[in-house]
Amino acid sequence: MDSMASKQPTVIGQRLMDRRSFLGSSIMGLGGIALTQLLATQGLLGATSKGPLRPSIDPARPHAARKPHFAPRARNIIMLFCSGAISHLDTFDYKPELIKRDGQPMPGADKLVTFQGENGNLQMSPWKFRPRGRSGKMTSDLLPYLGELVDEMCFIHSMTSKTNTHGPGENFLSTGFTLDGFPSIGAWVTYALGSENQSLPAFVAIPDPRGVPQASVNNWGPGFLPAVFQGTAFNATKPIRNLASPVPGNVDRATRDYIQMLNRRHAERYPGDTELAARIASYELAARMQLSVPEVTAIDNEPAHILQMYGADSTDKLKAGFARNCILARRLVERGVRFVQLFNGAYAMGEGVGNWDAHRILKDQYEVHGPILDQPAAALLRDLKQRGLLEETLLVFCTEFGRMPTFQKGASGRDHNPEGFTVWLAGAGVKRGFSYGATDPFGYKAVENVVTMHDFHATILHLLGLDHERLTYYNNGIERRLTDVHGHVIRDILA
Amino acid sequence: MSGVRVNTRNRMNRWWRGASGSYVVMIAMGAFTQSAIATERVDFARDVQPIFAQHCVECHGPEKQASALRMDRRTNLLRGGDSAEPAIVPGDAGASYLLTRLRDPNPEKRMPYRRPPLAEDEIAIIERWISEGADWPGAEHEEDANVGASHWSLQPIQPLEPPTPSRPEWVRNAIDAFILAKLDEVGLEPSPEADRVTLIRRLCFDLHGLLPSDDLYQRYLNDRREDWYERLVEELLASPRYGERWAQHWLDVVRYGETSGFEVNTPRENAWPYRDYVIRAFNEDTPYDRFILEQLAGDAVGVHEATGLLVAAPANLPGQIGQDLASMLGARQDELAEIVTTIGAAYMGLTLHCARCHNHKFDPITLKDYYSLQAIFAGVYYDDRQIPDARDPVRLRELLTQYDHTAAQLQSLGAREPVNGRLNVESFTPRQVRFVRFTAERTNSGLEPCIDELEIWSVATGDAQSRNVALASAGAKATASGTMPNSDIHRLEHINDGMYGNGRSWISNELGRGWVQIELAEPTVIDRIIWGRDRDGVYGDRLALTYRIEVADDDGVWHTVADSQLRLPQDASAREAWLADAPADRREQIAQLTQRMEALTHELLQVVPPRRVFAGTFREPGPWHRLYRGDPMQKREEVQPDIPEIFGTLGLSSDTPEQQRRVALARWLGRKDNPLTARVMINRIWQHHFGTGFVDTPGDFGRMGTQPSHPELLDWLAYTFMERGWSIKNMHRLIVTSSTYRQAAVPHTRGLAVDSQSRLLWRYPARRLEAEPIRDSILQASGVLNLTMGGPGFNAFKPNDNYVRIYEPREDFGPGEWRRMIYMHRVRMEKDGVFDDFDRPDAGQVCTQRVRSTTALQALNLLNSTFMMQQSRLFAERLQREMGEDVERQITRAFQLLYGRSPEREELDAGMELVRSHGLVAFCRAIFSTSEFLMIP
Repeated sequence: MDSMASKQPTVIGQRLMDRRSFLGSSIMGLGGIALTQLLATQGLLGATSKGPLRPSIDPARPHAARKPHFAPRARNIIMLFCSGAISHLDTFDYKPELIKRDGQPMPGADKLVTFQGENGNLQMSPWKFRPRGRSGKMTSDLLPYLGELVDEMCFIHSMTSKTNTHGPGENFLSTGFTLDGFPSIGAWVTYALGSENQSLPAFVAIPDPRGVPQASVNNWGPGFLPAVFQGTAFNATKPIRNLASPVPGNVDRATRDYIQMLNRRHAERYPGDTELAARIASYELAARMQLSVPEVTAIDNEPAHILQMYGADSTDKLKAGFARNCILARRLVERGVRFVQLFNGAYAMGEGVGNWDAHRILKDQYEVHGPILDQPAAALLRDLKQRGLLEETLLVFCTEFGRMPTFQKGASGRDHNPEGFTVWLAGAGVKRGFSYGATDPFGYKAVENVVTMHDFHATILHLLGLDHERLTYYNNGIERRLTDVHGHVIRDILA
Repeated sequence: MSGVRVNTRNRMNRWWRGASGSYVVMIAMGAFTQSAIATERVDFARDVQPIFAQHCVECHGPEKQASALRMDRRTNLLRGGDSAEPAIVPGDAGASYLLTRLRDPNPEKRMPYRRPPLAEDEIAIIERWISEGADWPGAEHEEDANVGASHWSLQPIQPLEPPTPSRPEWVRNAIDAFILAKLDEVGLEPSPEADRVTLIRRLCFDLHGLLPSDDLYQRYLNDRREDWYERLVEELLASPRYGERWAQHWLDVVRYGETSGFEVNTPRENAWPYRDYVIRAFNEDTPYDRFILEQLAGDAVGVHEATGLLVAAPANLPGQIGQDLASMLGARQDELAEIVTTIGAAYMGLTLHCARCHNHKFDPITLKDYYSLQAIFAGVYYDDRQIPDARDPVRLRELLTQYDHTAAQLQSLGAREPVNGRLNVESFTPRQVRFVRFTAERTNSGLEPCIDELEIWSVATGDAQSRNVALASAGAKATASGTMPNSDIHRLEHINDGMYGNGRSWISNELGRGWVQIELAEPTVIDRIIWGRDRDGVYGDRLALTYRIEVADDDGVWHTVADSQLRLPQDASAREAWLADAPADRREQIAQLTQRMEALTHELLQVVPPRRVFAGTFREPGPWHRLYRGDPMQKREEVQPDIPEIFGTLGLSSDTPEQQRRVALARWLGRKDNPLTARVMINRIWQHHFGTGFVDTPGDFGRMGTQPSHPELLDWLAYTFMERGWSIKNMHRLIVTSSTYRQAAVPHTRGLAVDSQSRLLWRYPARRLEAEPIRDSILQASGVLNLTMGGPGFNAFKPNDNYVRIYEPREDFGPGEWRRMIYMHRVRMEKDGVFDDFDRPDAGQVCTQRVRSTTALQALNLLNSTFMMQQSRLFAERLQREMGEDVERQITRAFQLLYGRSPEREELDAGMELVRSHGLVAFCRAIFSTSEFLMIP
């Protein structure tokens, strides 16, 4: 502790000074440590009376596993993100009234204007819903493989967002803010918890074979957190940029030895400088990654029945590609990677072509996207379960918002709808075969147990053993949180 | 306006003076009746306070402030809680939110929360009390602490004397005296001065973001003069490399980006002039108060691109915003919020954005203040603006030379190209003139002639570049034979406003004819006149086909310098006929040269299109309102454009034109009695010299920010900054020539034990370089750094025109990409594939201070990227070129270039071994990855 801390006249000043004095041993602007108890009792900072709990981070091993705030239900998480807003009304949210009133105007929504403009009449799903599993949960024929697993899933049918625009919507889902530049949920979790594997990135984003999602790197960016906590993007076919050495192995080793020799000599001249120690460590981790990442992405080493189970043998290149990404996700959590973000859909190919954004001809578009998602995602859930990984892994199926129960005027597709949509969770810590919340009879607005994105985030953090009100990082005047100043853990869905 | 100083107390006194009339002492001691209340004034202490104490203060009092509301202090009731609705409005019970909540029919909202409601006669007492002025005896003595008015950073900056130093021999200037005094307090001594190589490298990295050149080492390592160091500082500050380094610090703060952000992330092709402006402003040492004015209201002072600051943030494009009203209003509020955030972080060190939805929880900024400030910018829109007189002078000169050459050839054949509707260049022998008159005698359509801009170009002399001296902003005056009346778009002043197009043009009031004349500010030597009817090429009528251009000096004698005599017919068939009549031997040549002229004109238009700069457009915003909880669908009372009330008022009204609002704010920020402006900027300057500012929350000087480590020194520097004309370079001089700055960076145990971060500066805090100096220094070392300044940036990504842009880092690089990184087209959020991983901010949110992390991806990027492999090869080639095949000399040279020193025996031996086994490229690849190179020493 440096001498200055004691001179600070205000409690807040002292807190920040302590944060800063921690920098004495940390080069990274990472949070302070021991005084968390003190802060907790001092009741700082507006909205919450509980002070921040700052992870203690060793700059030379920033991804070392760290203790959560309390006993976690999940150690790892896979967030399967359907980019472009997958329609709840054509998948998991069964609305008999919508079928009954097919073709009629939606009551109370005369000339309703949504994202792209005016809406037409109510429109039932082109896919039939039928009861599935022991629970008899009604889901549609669009996703039959996933339908078989309803008894594993914990549905939230009352999700809401606060924007009807993809970019801000993806930002909101992945960072808790609609604006650009905030840390992603994976970065927050990595900042808090580190990773169980010191040879792989702690946080991996797996882009769809078709490309990156709308909000692109925002989904896995560090925002104002240190860059060390950003997601590393790679998938089963596209490797980490700059991972492979451009020179033969022996040259590479000799080169690195020389670097490390010079760096060690230099560090000796600056005793106690942790930044220099961290650089030496970073070259060691880089070398380990060069071995471990090719190993984990070697999907072909999986047995044939596993490849078949996921659909990695499909003649549909996109389905096979997504299947390989699902296998990669499993292999990563198997190896202790903390946070995996798995994307289904990309924006590169335009509206609704490469993702779930079906404004024009819903039926045609979803007949393409459904099979790409269905078998591989279902196999992922099955595989996690059969290996026992689901005990400690949380699988989250999510999307930025839902779609309208009406077709757009003059089109046979659905417009954006942030007022009510469906996500589901499965695995560690959540109820199985359970449904929470509901939309109105047409599936337009969440009306029962309405869940905000902040609640959703608070719950995920809770499952990982983190108090969303105390996981903070100071930036530009505000002790920032993933959940801004909102959010409540949805206790009713916890197992 | 009542000055900048905090004046809450004065305001409160006013209220109290107004309410200090006599009030009747109530006689009835027991339960009083409605009629008694109706006739006698309510006594706060007797009648109201007990109600508050019984029902309210438990949750809204000194212990607990539910929804940030306190009811034990009048100031807090006036201010309101989180909702920012004033709980009481003295004299206006109807506007008092307290009563609304006491009587709320919704039991979940009615106060007291989830308890029985107050009796109606109790509410009536409160209502009467409010109507009578809400007297609260003793409130005038209330500590205003809750709103933070007494916070240190809001107090005036006073002149003060440096302390008497304990070691006068160490003190080079006042900075050292302050630093020494703090060190004395904790029993630390300053470190000895760093060696000369270290000082040279430190200064070069700090001021230029580059390695020292050979030449610099040579001259300054052997300089025996006393003042070699000061000379070096002067030389570095005078170099344009300085602006390229320090502009980046500023661009971080305003999160300058050249794409829109969000999902489409579309390029803003015309954003770069703002970047160039900032570089130029630093290089020219624009006084900081002027720098503020130009960025807030450059359109008012002729520095148009400077307003790029206002729109530097990301903003959703119209097509990406929902078509419903709430989405559109919300997106607009987001845009304006970004501007307020920028102003707060950049100039005021206040987190104004925290008051968007509720009163600021820590600082004296109310919700109303927020929307008053927003009203200053309410007319600013994120868009390109057509701006006058800003061109690419080099390319223009090239083209004009070709143009003149071709025109001369054509004229020698007795012809000129036809009049062009968009652009005509009239070149002539240089002559000194005071007046230029353009007279139209016939138009193509027979209608009144129209000219969108008449430019008069001076001849370059010495340092002065050729410039358009016709501009009103250059002091020229326009007159005309007459101007078409009652038009907003066709006006005399448009002839020399620097703006092009039909919408900014002059039209005569006579069919087919008329003249327009420019009187220059002073007699000037000119050699070129450029005019057109519609530079945008939309309108082709009203074009003067027969015309003459005359000039006169102060003597008033007119000379014709150009006319339409040799012009070929504009009409194509007439031209054919003319050519058919021309002598056969010239016909072909004339046709060819005419075509060439047409092509050149076209190219000129490409180079000098009507210049558009992404610097915002401006419209009058109309009345502005406070928004309840920041919700654009819930307007509350009208607000006037203003600064936060705690600072006084700008005295503007809803009628004040929006430009004047911005000017007024800029002037207020630049006042010497503004407590924040100088402190915030000095802190920023200090931060970049030493890695950390006095206040290590540089965007937040409010109560959530930290206390300064050296408050007296901060104030002394801030005061000096203003006294010395807001010169930033002066502050650099002062700081880098101090003994404090010249200390060695080597730590020792005692210092580490007492002050591990060297916040007290017992040593110079060495640290890793940022992304830009790393990249620039690598290019410099390999010998390929391209020092082209300004203009559109180079692209770090592969070309892509998907409507949602895909940014894939490019893998091939050449001299075009070897410019300094500040000229890299700044794509928001995306990473360039090598250097952005060094914690370069993503230009999404304001960044007043970069974080510094060390990651494996950084290591992989430096080792394996194609960029670095190429640089390693280029570096190896340079070493071979300069040192031949002698490995020892090659390695020594590399150490000299990167570290400023020779290798030690072991370093040399291991290096030679590496080179012998695996080649010089392997060695070069290694040395770029070393801490000694990557660190500011």
